Amino acid sequence: MADQQFISVAPPEDPAPVAAARRRHFRWRRWSFLLLLLPGLCMYLAFIVYPFGTSFRYSFYNWNGVGPLSDFVGLNNFRYILTSPDFSIFFYRALLHNLYFFGISLVLTTMVGMFVAYLLTNIPDRPARVFQVLYFIPYVIPPVVIGFLTSVFLEPNFGVVSTVLQNLGLTSWDLPWLGSESLALPTIALISAWASIGFSMLIFLAAMVGLPADLLEAARIDGANRVQLFTRIVFPLVRPTFITLMTLTFISSFGTFDLIYVLEGTQAGPNYATDVSGTLFYRTAFGGFGATAQNLGLAAALAVVGFVIVIVLSAMFVWLQKHYTVQY
Amino acid sequence: MIEHTSRRQRRNISGRARTVVYILLILGAIIMLFPLIDMILMSFKSMSEMGTDPVGLPQSWLFSNYSTAWSEGNLGQYLLNSAIVSLGSVFFVLLLSSLAAYVLARFEFPGNAFIYLLFLAGLALPIQLIAVPLFIIMKDLSLLNTLASVIVVYTASGMSFSVFLLVNFFRTIPVDLEEAASIEGANSLQIYALIMLPLLRPALTTVGLFNFVSSWNALFFPLIFLSDNSKMTVTVGVLSFVGQYSTQWDLLLPALVIVTLPTVVVCIVASRQFIRGLTAGALRM
Repeated sequence: MADQQFISVAPPEDPAPVAAARRRHFRWRRWSFLLLLLPGLCMYLAFIVYPFGTSFRYSFYNWNGVGPLSDFVGLNNFRYILTSPDFSIFFYRALLHNLYFFGISLVLTTMVGMFVAYLLTNIPDRPARVFQVLYFIPYVIPPVVIGFLTSVFLEPNFGVVSTVLQNLGLTSWDLPWLGSESLALPTIALISAWASIGFSMLIFLAAMVGLPADLLEAARIDGANRVQLFTRIVFPLVRPTFITLMTLTFISSFGTFDLIYVLEGTQAGPNYATDVSGTLFYRTAFGGFGATAQNLGLAAALAVVGFVIVIVLSAMFVWLQKHYTVQY
Repeated sequence: MIEHTSRRQRRNISGRARTVVYILLILGAIIMLFPLIDMILMSFKSMSEMGTDPVGLPQSWLFSNYSTAWSEGNLGQYLLNSAIVSLGSVFFVLLLSSLAAYVLARFEFPGNAFIYLLFLAGLALPIQLIAVPLFIIMKDLSLLNTLASVIVVYTASGMSFSVFLLVNFFRTIPVDLEEAASIEGANSLQIYALIMLPLLRPALTTVGLFNFVSSWNALFFPLIFLSDNSKMTVTVGVLSFVGQYSTQWDLLLPALVIVTLPTVVVCIVASRQFIRGLTAGALRM
């Protein structure tokens, strides 16, 4: 504080005391700023980075979470996941279902989101804002609520959809949406996509707003129609955004759990038709595999395989995004 | 919100094309909102009316559904727990991530880029995958079955996105102010608290709302950490509630509406801020 007074009375033409104060100040600063970083960093290290690291350690043990970590089994957990006839069938099926989920989400959320965003760039701001909020609302509804609401709508005997279809005489459309092995997964993926359209719409909108107006204008003067404008100009320019969303959709599809847990339980019925890596992981770690006791070592190995898949694919998407980024 | 239509672009669209655009947008909005509107309408109906007319207006509005659901479902307790968890984790995320982002955006030191990347890497981590070690940590710290366990996890996992957003926001603020303050002798904590924090408010609102919604809606960690009924958040609470009353939709639907209200109200009230923050800068990727 004494320094401060000194500086304020010092004539500005004389740089020496200011420089000295600044030097002293910076020395102090060099240590003090770390104190501001530490609480957040420690929190993150302790509850994200450290558990991430210990997952690898646990994955080499046969361990049910009680007692010491002593039964070292090397790579056996991984061998069990990837090659054993008992478990690998669950694993590959769950992965396939995740990919399926990703495919449906990707097509629906990004296509519809991009289309809605493009429509919104063609109307005045005020109504566009109202539509933005309306389309975004499903995104903030708790997935648990969406799950139960879906079960009310799709209940096979007196659910909303069934009742309406019967009243309209469309009984052939009255299908067991959640109870049939072939329909359950697409139905749930569709509902999940519905909930996230608002998010992709916003991201695309932000990208489209940033597009250079003169480029669009030039294309228009050259006689491009609305469709050409979109396919030739807008889409190539927002392609990096598309790939970003693809990455985010992939990560969230891989983490799918809530809706399936609420609608189909931990067993991800019917007959594991909706089993994804999230539910498989939950059963492995926290029970629900019937006679099989919970196996935290195996679950940790499952998580490690999950890390590898997510990291490899995310890296690929990031590379793709760099590749397609257009300078303008 | 997003200012997107240049005058020129707007004038360019013809009357008929504009009608088509509006029709498509309104149809889309109906598809997006119909299930939610119908949830509210049905929550006022009797069971028998839901069976015969699930989509129309209720013949008489049964507000008693709500009072029964409230008292049968222990909803007050669940809502209180969720409020503690959401507000607690929002508070800690805002505090810790704004401090960390300030340091990462403004100070040169060895390891800066690495620490920033470490935070960013968390964006790609489906948080459930580290549930096993987290479960063990919480057990060792005797935090299982406490709200603190969930607050800690959502604070730590919220850091990635918040640091990312805030560092980008800090970079848009000119450094002149801080330089002036530092020449006047303010230390870094004073600069942060007196100068940066007020400037940061729009970004903090976005980060806070985003974390509020995601911790309010979260299911996975409350599900594995909180087993005692008095400790459950709304999402797990509704699950146990439905276990008993799964076929009683006249109780289930009011409960769902009550659980949904906080996030939807927050989203609508703060939509301008929320959406602007989400789409400005950081997410313009």
